[in-house]
Amino acid sequence: MPNTGVPPAPKGSAGAARARAGDPETFLEVERLVKQFPGTLALDHVDLKIRCGEIHALLGENGAGKSTLIRAICGASQPTEGRILVNGVEAILASPHEAAALGIAVVHQHFNLVPQISVAENLLLSESMPKRAGIFVDWRAMQRRARLLLERVGLQIDPRMEVANLRPDESAMVAIAKAIGSEARLIILDEPTSALLPAEVSVLFRHMRRLAADGHSFLYVSHRLSEVFEIADRVTVLRDGRNAGSWTRDHLSRRAIIQAIVGGDKSLQEDIGHSDFAPGEVLLAAHELSGGHVAKLSFEARAHEIVGFAGLPGSGAEEALDLMFGRHMTSAGRLTLDGRDVVFRSPRDAKRAGLALVPKDRHAESLLPGASVRENISLPNLSRFVTDPVVRFIHRGRERAEARQVAERLAIKTASIESPITSLSGGNQQKAILGRWLASGAKVFMLNSPTAAVDIGAKAEIYTLIRQIAEIGAAVIFTSTEVEEFPRICHRVLVFRDGQIVGELIGKDATDASILHLASGGGDER
Amino acid sequence: MSVSPGTRTAAAKGQVDLASWFARYGTIVSLVVLLIYFSIARFDVFPTVNNLLNIMNQISILGTMAFGLTVCLVMGLFDLSIAAMATLGGYAATLLLVRYPDSINVPVAVSASLLICAAIGVINGLIVSYLGISAFIATLATGSIITGAVLGISGSETLITGIPDAFMAIGQGTIFGVANPILIMLAIGFVLWLLLEHTQVGRHLYAIGGSAEASRLSGIAVKQYAPFALAICAACAGLGGLMAAAVLGAGRPQGVGDTYLLNAFAAVFIGASTLRPGKFHILGTLIGALLIGVINNGLSVMGVPTYWQYIVQGVLLVLALFSAGVLAVRRS
Repeated sequence: MPNTGVPPAPKGSAGAARARAGDPETFLEVERLVKQFPGTLALDHVDLKIRCGEIHALLGENGAGKSTLIRAICGASQPTEGRILVNGVEAILASPHEAAALGIAVVHQHFNLVPQISVAENLLLSESMPKRAGIFVDWRAMQRRARLLLERVGLQIDPRMEVANLRPDESAMVAIAKAIGSEARLIILDEPTSALLPAEVSVLFRHMRRLAADGHSFLYVSHRLSEVFEIADRVTVLRDGRNAGSWTRDHLSRRAIIQAIVGGDKSLQEDIGHSDFAPGEVLLAAHELSGGHVAKLSFEARAHEIVGFAGLPGSGAEEALDLMFGRHMTSAGRLTLDGRDVVFRSPRDAKRAGLALVPKDRHAESLLPGASVRENISLPNLSRFVTDPVVRFIHRGRERAEARQVAERLAIKTASIESPITSLSGGNQQKAILGRWLASGAKVFMLNSPTAAVDIGAKAEIYTLIRQIAEIGAAVIFTSTEVEEFPRICHRVLVFRDGQIVGELIGKDATDASILHLASGGGDER
Repeated sequence: MSVSPGTRTAAAKGQVDLASWFARYGTIVSLVVLLIYFSIARFDVFPTVNNLLNIMNQISILGTMAFGLTVCLVMGLFDLSIAAMATLGGYAATLLLVRYPDSINVPVAVSASLLICAAIGVINGLIVSYLGISAFIATLATGSIITGAVLGISGSETLITGIPDAFMAIGQGTIFGVANPILIMLAIGFVLWLLLEHTQVGRHLYAIGGSAEASRLSGIAVKQYAPFALAICAACAGLGGLMAAAVLGAGRPQGVGDTYLLNAFAAVFIGASTLRPGKFHILGTLIGALLIGVINNGLSVMGVPTYWQYIVQGVLLVLALFSAGVLAVRRS
């Protein structure tokens, strides 16, 4: 234990004379924090200092200790050793309630709002609602209070609106307004931008900067480095539960931060080799295919090729994959596979023809959460282990052998193929999902954001895997919400806007900038 | 016990292990403890071969219905029509035998009755899959329709005369000293265990229960499984009612299945907190049914008033669900 009782020496010159203990510029200080879980040391003497009015980014791979640190700061779990000081005074944060009383609030990824009720009700959910005669809710007083809170964050919306009808950036701001309503001085934002469009992100950042200028501090957790560079006053990186570096705004370096995140031994694989690539025959082709939001989609995907479908959310790039896989009804146009016309009325038809879809939301759309790694890998392939045509008994030994083979080939880190899939890291879960389709022998892989919520090290592995899938002769159609991924793995990028392809970028012409330019309404380059 | 900082982690680990051990084996331990307790308390009556077979016989109808229910709960469907379905199964078989004594023999009547139940189960499934109504509500509705229909057809009269001995043998006969209902229950249990654990259909049912969307995107015809699972559940419920009618030697048009509804759900949910916490499975259901049977039998040989059986079952259900829930929370 560090020597308690002696406040840390004030470091700045400005507040050194003040009588209050500690540095008045500092709101929160974490000292030598240790959190021991059975079998793992989640936090190993971590330090963190958040100044008043500072936007502080916390980075690190999944499992680096970010969430454990946040849980300790917001009182959701108790550290094994070390201490947390709020305004220079040691704080015992035994529960989230006590943390909130000291001005610490957390806004989670999904903004902890109830979508079916109004903005005003959400804002006043944790305080006692104004009442008439002590019983009936005073709706007018409630609107007034809600308007006041919304004004403080600079959001102009009707507090009577249902939260479900808000834009994602508005939801984020309502969540922040709620935190401020409870007098929060430090607002912890856990991946607030994952559901936001670029334009919405910049609105959110504008509001954050204004609130920071008023003295509110932010602890900002994100996987998106470019955003961190845009907003953070200071960056702290954790790796394997330890401090791996800290930078102020003036000294930020992308390379240094990535190195700190992934560690010395692993380096990020940068671009795909565009040179040695020989496309094979056409596997999948769409001819003026329309359905839902997608209109007149025409393109070809060849064997060995990785085609990117880029576009802002809602542009039709993601919907195009769902349409081709039979998730949505086709209203017009044709699809050919190996030169023959195909009609997919359901995902079942598409799968049988040799297509594979890895959907965007791993937890809701592709994992079997209660099942083992083996069961997750063999899900679409069970008919191959059937021993007889009538009762359809499954040959468990053959199933096991194949699952083991897939797990080895893709280097899935798991204690056993019988371990629950939920015990794996996000990256390994996603590898199991890709392995599921590799084992099925699919010819066309349609991947929607396969690296979402996967840490940086595992991302590189998944890129390598996608390249291997293309090398063995499949066509890969790739889409992602993160534009910087396209140049790294695609041979060719088709850019979508308003349900249509507005441009094609080949090889090195496909850069973050050129894709964004087209996607956001720049000139037609096709 | 006081927890100093040094021992905190060890204690926490111990707690987690104990909780997960209890969630896995708690019901089996309770079953064994109860068996020992009743055996000591009433050593003259309880631990005899006859009484133990009697317990098995007492749970055979419950077990048969609970096995069927397990199949649809595996894919996440609640079937509340099993009470009405049991009444229908027993009444339909006896009605056919009483009304057409010359042209319909026992195997035909049994098959016809089970087919009627299965057909209604298919309708349940079609409502769930194609009208998008939750199984909970759909089966509540069809259960009400069945209850009304049976009451109307029967004119509320119980069939007693003219039921052939061959039919009553289903409930009252024995093979090598083991009552037929026990053998029927074990046979159904074995077949459904094979289905769920070792066939492609069973694996698909579990997959759909885990994530319907992931299953659909993996090429499984998700909509076809609700009619299948609910038909199996309905046929098992009908068979349970049919066994009850054979035991009684009467075709009652109401109330046959009601006593089994809560117990069947209790058995399946107790089963889901046994061996494989959070998962419905046939072996677990059998243990759940046995636990209920042992408690009811034990309490009655102890001379405890019947109302205690209801109270004890309710408490047991909460405990079982709690222990399964605790583990599920810890896992996530």
